[in-house]
Amino acid sequence: MPLFVKARSFLRNLFLSRGVEAELDREVHSHLELLIAENIRAGMTPREAERAARVELGGIEQVKEDVREQQMGNWLRSVFSDCRYGLRQLRKNLGATAVMVFTLALAIGATTAIFSVVYGVLLRPLPYAGANRIMAVFEVTSTGRPSRLADPNFDDFRDQNRSFQAVAKYADGVVSVSGASEPTRTTVAAVTPDFLKVFGVQPILGRDFSAGDAKKGAERTVLVSYGYWRQHLGTTQDFSESHLKIDGAVYSVIGVLPLGFRFPADVDLWLPADLDGENPSRTSHNYSAVGRLREGVTVQQANMDISTIARRIHDASSEQGDYLLKDGMVVPLQDSITGNARSALLVLLGAVGFLLLVACANVANLLLAQASVRERELAIRSALGAARGRLVRQFLTESLLLSLAGGGLGVLGALGGVVGLVRLAPENLPRLESVSISIPVLVFAFLLSTAVAAGLGAFTAARATSGDPRKGLGEGGRGQAGSQGSQRVGRVIVAAQIAITLVLVVGAGLFGRSLMKVLEVNPGFRVDKIIAMDVSLPWVEDPKAKAGEAAFFLNLMDRLKQIPGVRQVGAASALPMDGGLPDGMFLLMTQEEVPKTPDDFGALLKQKERIGEADFCVATDGYFQVLGIPLIRGRIFDRRDGANAPHVAVISESLARDRWPKQDPIGHTIEFGNMDGDLRLLTIVGIVGDTHENGLELPPRPTVYVNLFQRPRPAITVTMLSDADAGSVSSAARGILQDLDPEIPTRFRTLSEVFSASLGSRRFNVILIGFFGLTALLLATAGVFGVMAYSVSRRTREIGVRVALGADSGDVLRMILGQGLRTIFAGVAMGIIGSLALTRTVETLLFGVTATDPLTFGGVTVLLIAVALLACYVPARRATKVDPLVALRYE
Amino acid sequence: MSPEQTSLLQGTLDLLILKSLVSGEMHGLGISRRVQQITGGTFVVKPGSLFPALHRMDEEGWISSFWGDSENNRRAKYYRLTKAGTKQLEVETRRWSRISWAIAQALEAS
Repeated sequence: MPLFVKARSFLRNLFLSRGVEAELDREVHSHLELLIAENIRAGMTPREAERAARVELGGIEQVKEDVREQQMGNWLRSVFSDCRYGLRQLRKNLGATAVMVFTLALAIGATTAIFSVVYGVLLRPLPYAGANRIMAVFEVTSTGRPSRLADPNFDDFRDQNRSFQAVAKYADGVVSVSGASEPTRTTVAAVTPDFLKVFGVQPILGRDFSAGDAKKGAERTVLVSYGYWRQHLGTTQDFSESHLKIDGAVYSVIGVLPLGFRFPADVDLWLPADLDGENPSRTSHNYSAVGRLREGVTVQQANMDISTIARRIHDASSEQGDYLLKDGMVVPLQDSITGNARSALLVLLGAVGFLLLVACANVANLLLAQASVRERELAIRSALGAARGRLVRQFLTESLLLSLAGGGLGVLGALGGVVGLVRLAPENLPRLESVSISIPVLVFAFLLSTAVAAGLGAFTAARATSGDPRKGLGEGGRGQAGSQGSQRVGRVIVAAQIAITLVLVVGAGLFGRSLMKVLEVNPGFRVDKIIAMDVSLPWVEDPKAKAGEAAFFLNLMDRLKQIPGVRQVGAASALPMDGGLPDGMFLLMTQEEVPKTPDDFGALLKQKERIGEADFCVATDGYFQVLGIPLIRGRIFDRRDGANAPHVAVISESLARDRWPKQDPIGHTIEFGNMDGDLRLLTIVGIVGDTHENGLELPPRPTVYVNLFQRPRPAITVTMLSDADAGSVSSAARGILQDLDPEIPTRFRTLSEVFSASLGSRRFNVILIGFFGLTALLLATAGVFGVMAYSVSRRTREIGVRVALGADSGDVLRMILGQGLRTIFAGVAMGIIGSLALTRTVETLLFGVTATDPLTFGGVTVLLIAVALLACYVPARRATKVDPLVALRYE
Repeated sequence: MSPEQTSLLQGTLDLLILKSLVSGEMHGLGISRRVQQITGGTFVVKPGSLFPALHRMDEEGWISSFWGDSENNRRAKYYRLTKAGTKQLEVETRRWSRISWAIAQALEAS
């Protein structure tokens, strides 16, 4: 019952407030009349009676206000009235309001957009049931780095662990697939049977892999992605007839996975791993591994578990050396996917946070200027009995209106911004597909707007209500004394703004200089005018058919040379900067030393002086010419090097220098058969220039090149040096390939695209931080200008007096500029200190410049001072134009 | 106002208003005078505290109000105790008795 009464009162107060108000008025007046009547009865004259009654009542309006304070729902009503009043205030200064809303929209929008990327990539849980229990499992190498797993090691992890409900290994790659439709290059993953159990995923159609599907020699089966099913299998429900030819072998489709499941990224087909048997080596790291933790097992426990097993393997293994695991490691899958992107994204978030601060500073300054105009209004309100809390709430309401408007607009902008960001983002940024303006991002934007409102409102309220209201009333309308204080605060804000801007621009400068330094690095090969064509033939085991591969490629390249405009054609196992080459250990040995048994090999591998480490690249002689990789000494491959001639190798300059420091490597023989299974020794015949195989920022890799016609492989990238346009060359090349074999899929790229993609993440950072820095610079300039212009307009009378007393325009200019300069210098000094402290955190993301690069610091400081001075100069010029007569009449 | 008038203790105002309404419905001034009377002039309830309290108690459902004519035919808003108010008065009375007993005990102890 009381609850009902309360609710009724609440609603009545809210919706029938006029009636409630009128009744209250009548009640108080009747009380007054009763008092008067009482007093008259007590013998007072009517005038005395009324006066005494009024004294006892103590102010009709105040009594009414006291009652209103008590009324239920009062707070809500007063919020409405605050909002109404706030809106009126904001409308009154429409220009300033528009500027503030726009500034906040820009900053909140940018922050929201960046947060959506951070959320989508780093924070959003992976889209699997119990995703926080899915772990990536690694071996740890002798250098302490996580690495992929060798088959027997994985088996031991799987069989001996006590932490995981399910463990699976997987390896993905691009292969040619035909049978369903035209041949395509499709990403497939070879997985062990528990793979889907790790992710808690089941086929929506058909069945999961069983243990039988993974047995050596079992019938070949494949699971397909939802997208592949729709696109290539026509959403057929019955796939007893669905067979896919994958890398030459025929697989039966047994199931379709749910929409959205694509792990590892971009995979469309999942096949059982090791149908031809496992690799018994403990040092061939071919598989990644994932596992689902048992209920209640922590990451640390799993880590210790795996680590124990790994160390046991290490101690017991007959294989030794640098390539044998030293330890094991478990990392949440989400962290392992996003690991590399984390620091760069957090830097971006920090940068945009700074931009937000700079924007807030501008808005704070505008609000402050308005508040000082409103001093009189505030004085009147507090004299009439408005409590300080009520005034503070008024300011909070106004800033909340502002920042919610700004936030709303900002989110609209962020919707577009996110699309742009995703397009701009480097290809290697993981989980880009999960970046969007989602509910959590909207919540973030709302909380951010509220926080901004709270900060701004509290600040202006504290400033505006700290003074003595009597002063506001006494000043006769033009608050000059009170505004002195707020001008000082305004200058402090501007100084802080300059400081933050300096930090941001220094950051942008450091990243920009890093990009320039990276671009100065000579990649070691030509980038432009090169068209790359990926060709992968079906995989064959038969060595005789291998010779067929070589012949096919020779024929293909001969015909490609005929395309008008194509000057040179070559081929290699991979393009530089496109994911890297396989690396391994080779052995220095002569023909006489070739061991007879595998055990003797083991013995040789223990002799440190025989071991070398390098990338392994299969190439043709044309490859070096197309890419312009210079021959330093000796020769590259030529006609002499047929399939049955002694196998030869060309090595890179850095390998020659490091492995044969005081010798000439030419003529030496090496064993590098672990890379392709061909155990014939390779005779070094030439030394070529280094290439930045793994990207400009990494040192060139030592590389061993072998001849494609001696060491054929099914998948190569043909490179064509062409003066003609890439499109026409590509279509001609496609025609030639189809003419040779219509079953073989291909893909065309230009080397400059690949090169440019390798710089993607750095460019992304530079563009964004540069944009934030530039925006902050503009905002700070506006801030300096605003505060100086305001100060000059407030000091018009004083300047007039000075001029009247004989100051010339130079004096006035110096006075105003001097005042501005003090602010600027204070800000710059703070900014330099802040930058020195903060840029250290991005040191690992820089290239070729130190975190305290004097050129960047100096340049940015000069730039900032110049821009800020310019912003001061305009109001200062205006000050010199002050006519003393007008100024003195100004009041 | 005599110097003996004491400012109202927190929470006692509700009790006094409820108590004064036990004898029948009354308008605001009546309540104010009645409180003064039953406390022997110790407590004077000013309109600034009386009206907010009345409205609050009305919203709580302890008292209800209606417009009526005063003794000399003026319109005035009258208040009367509701069932919930009677119950509340019992609660408040018990609470207050406990407090006053406890305070008396405390003061007697030396």
